[in-house]
Amino acid sequence: MTLGKQRKFEWVFFQNLVVRQIRQDYLENLTGFAWLILQPLILLAVYAFVFSTIFKARIPEAEGIGFVPYLAIAFWPWTAFSEAILRANNSITTNGALIGKVAFATEQIPLATVTATFIMHLVGYLAVLIVLQLMGTGIHWFYLLLALPVILLMWVFACAISLFTSAIQVFVRDVAQILPPLMTFWFFTTPILYSSSYLPESLQTLTQWNPMAWFIARLRELLLFGEMNFDYKTLIIFLFMAIFAWISLRFFRRFSGHFEDFL
Amino acid sequence: MDTLVRIENVSKIYPRVHKSRERLQAFVSLLFGREPVHGTKVLSDINLEVVRGQSLGIIGENGAGKSTLLKVLTGVIQPTTGRVMVQGKVAAMLELGAGFQPDFSGMDNVRMKASLMGLSNRELNERLDDILAFADIGEYIHEPVKHYSSGMVVRLGFAVITACRPDLLITDEVLAVGDESFQKKCIRWIQQFLDQGGTLLLVSHSMYVVQKLCQKALWIHAGGIEQYGDVFPVTQAYLAWHEKRNAKDKEMQLKATGDGAYYRIDALTLPGAEGTDPPVFAMGEDINIELQIYSPDDRPPVGVVGVVRADGTPVYGVVSDNENAAPVKLADHRFRFRLRLTNIALLPGSYNLSAHSMDPEGVRVFDNRQMAFQISGDTKEVGYIRLPHEWLD
Repeated sequence: MTLGKQRKFEWVFFQNLVVRQIRQDYLENLTGFAWLILQPLILLAVYAFVFSTIFKARIPEAEGIGFVPYLAIAFWPWTAFSEAILRANNSITTNGALIGKVAFATEQIPLATVTATFIMHLVGYLAVLIVLQLMGTGIHWFYLLLALPVILLMWVFACAISLFTSAIQVFVRDVAQILPPLMTFWFFTTPILYSSSYLPESLQTLTQWNPMAWFIARLRELLLFGEMNFDYKTLIIFLFMAIFAWISLRFFRRFSGHFEDFL
Repeated sequence: MDTLVRIENVSKIYPRVHKSRERLQAFVSLLFGREPVHGTKVLSDINLEVVRGQSLGIIGENGAGKSTLLKVLTGVIQPTTGRVMVQGKVAAMLELGAGFQPDFSGMDNVRMKASLMGLSNRELNERLDDILAFADIGEYIHEPVKHYSSGMVVRLGFAVITACRPDLLITDEVLAVGDESFQKKCIRWIQQFLDQGGTLLLVSHSMYVVQKLCQKALWIHAGGIEQYGDVFPVTQAYLAWHEKRNAKDKEMQLKATGDGAYYRIDALTLPGAEGTDPPVFAMGEDINIELQIYSPDDRPPVGVVGVVRADGTPVYGVVSDNENAAPVKLADHRFRFRLRLTNIALLPGSYNLSAHSMDPEGVRVFDNRQMAFQISGDTKEVGYIRLPHEWLD
C-alpha cells in the first residue's frame, strides 16, 4: 500500500493563486483589462456582421430584441467557459517549478486558473449587460440573482473538465493540440449563434444532452425574457455536475502524486 | 516518544518518460491504480524513524538518492512502494529556487510560500518585517525572482521558513549557496530552533555542518541505507570510504597507463644502504643520492628528491627542472639523476629520503619511493634542521 503525505487544500494559498493569476493574465499590462472586453467584443462584431448582415439570420424568439443582444448574452459565458478550460489545460505544466519543490494539493492550480478566468469574464459580462441596457435592450436585472447560480454551475462544469484534461495533459502532451478544435466544435454545436428551434428534430433531442445548451438557454430566458424555466431537469443537471466534479477530482488525485515524474 | 517521521520499506522508481508511448503506458497503468514499474530505481527499502527533537543529517555521494528521499518525505513525490508518515508542521527547502516562481516578485513569492505553509494573511503581515530583516536583500524584494542571485533566493526562502515556526525543518544542500555571514546566521537560527525542541532533517556535503548540527547521521549509498547511527562514527566512516575510493582512483589511473608505460623509478640509492639497517650519516657529512628513472618515450623525465621526518612531516624537497638539472642518459629509456646534499644540516633523528618521478613537463607525479636513513650527532639543539646562526655580544 502506498500512502503519501496528506496534502492540504489551503484556502489562503488558493486565494493568492487566483489573485496572482488575474494579475498575471489581465492586469500586468495596462491593455490586458481592455483586451478582456475588446476581444470578445470584436468577435461579437464579426459574428453579428456575418450572421445578421450577410446571412440575414432571423431568430424568431429574438423578434424585438435583435440578433446582437441575443448573441451577446450567450457569448460571454461561453467565452469564459472555453477560455477557462483551454488555460487550465496547460496550468500543471507551466507551474512545474512549484509542483516539483513544494508539496501541496495540486488540484488548486487548474481550479485557480478556471476561477480567475470566470471572475474576470464575469466582470466583462456585467459591463456588456450595462452596455446592452444603455443601448435599449431591456435586461431583467432582478433575474441576475438566478443567473449567478447558473454561472456557478457552469464554473463547476469547467472545473471538472479542467481536472480531467490538465491531468491527462501531463502524460499526453497532444491534449493541448486536440482541445482547441474540440472547443470550436462544441461552440458551433451549442445553440449560441442560433436558436435550438433551428435544429432538426433529431438534433434537438441530442442537444438536450449538452449541458452548455441548457446553461445558455437558461441565461437567455432569465436575462432577456425574464422567464423562469427550472423544472426537473435542473435537478438532474445539478446532480450530474456534483457527481461529475467528484469523479474528476478522484481522477485528478489518482495522478497528481506522480506529476513530478512526468513534468 | 513522539515520532514525527516514519517511513517503512520505501522504494522509488522513476518511470521512463522520454517516449510518448512510455508516457501513455504510465498513464494507463496509473489509471488502473498500478504503479509504473519500468524505470530507474533510486531508492530501495528505506526504513527510518525520526522522533521529535532529533536532528538527522543525511549524507552520501551525488546521485545516492538523498534528494529523492527528502522529496518522498515532504510528499512532493509519492513512493512507488512503502509508507510515509509525517506529523506536525513541516517546512521544507528542497533544491535551489525554494519553489519560487521566477516571473513573480520576491514579495509575491513570500506571500505564496507563506500561505502554502498555512500562514494566514494577518499572521504574515505581522511577521513580514522579520522576514525581510532576515533575508536582508533590500529593495530587491520587489524585483522578479529571476533577477536574483542564487544566494538571494536562498536567503528569502530561508527567511520565510523562519517565520513559519515549523515543527520539522527539512533542508536540502541549500545553505552552501549563501555567503559566509548568511550561513552563520542560518546555522545560528537552526541551533536555536533545535534548542527549542525543533526537529531537523538536513542533507549536506559539509561534514562540518552535519557534525555541528546533527545528533544522528544517515549515510545513503546507491539508494539504500549504508549506515545509520550517531553522527561521528557515520560521518567518519563516510569520509574514510571517500578516501579509499580516491586512493583506488589514483591506483587505477596509474594502472591505466600500463606497466612500463609511465615514468617509473628504477632505483634510489644511498651509500651504505646495502644492509637491512637504515644507513647512518653524521651531521655535516655530504650525502650522495642516485635516482634512476625509466622513461617510456625516451624523453628526459623530471625527478623530485626530498626529506621527510619519520612521522611524515616534510622537511625539504627539490624538483630537478626548477633548477634546470638534466638527467644523464645511461641507456635507452634509462635516466639517472645524481644529487649531493652537502654539509647536511639535519638534526639527529630518523628521516626518510623520498623520491618522485614526473613526466618531462613536470606536471604529473607517476611514481614514488622512500628510503629510511638516520642522522647521528651530539647536539642539544631542537627541531629538524640547523639554521646557520651566531650569538652576538
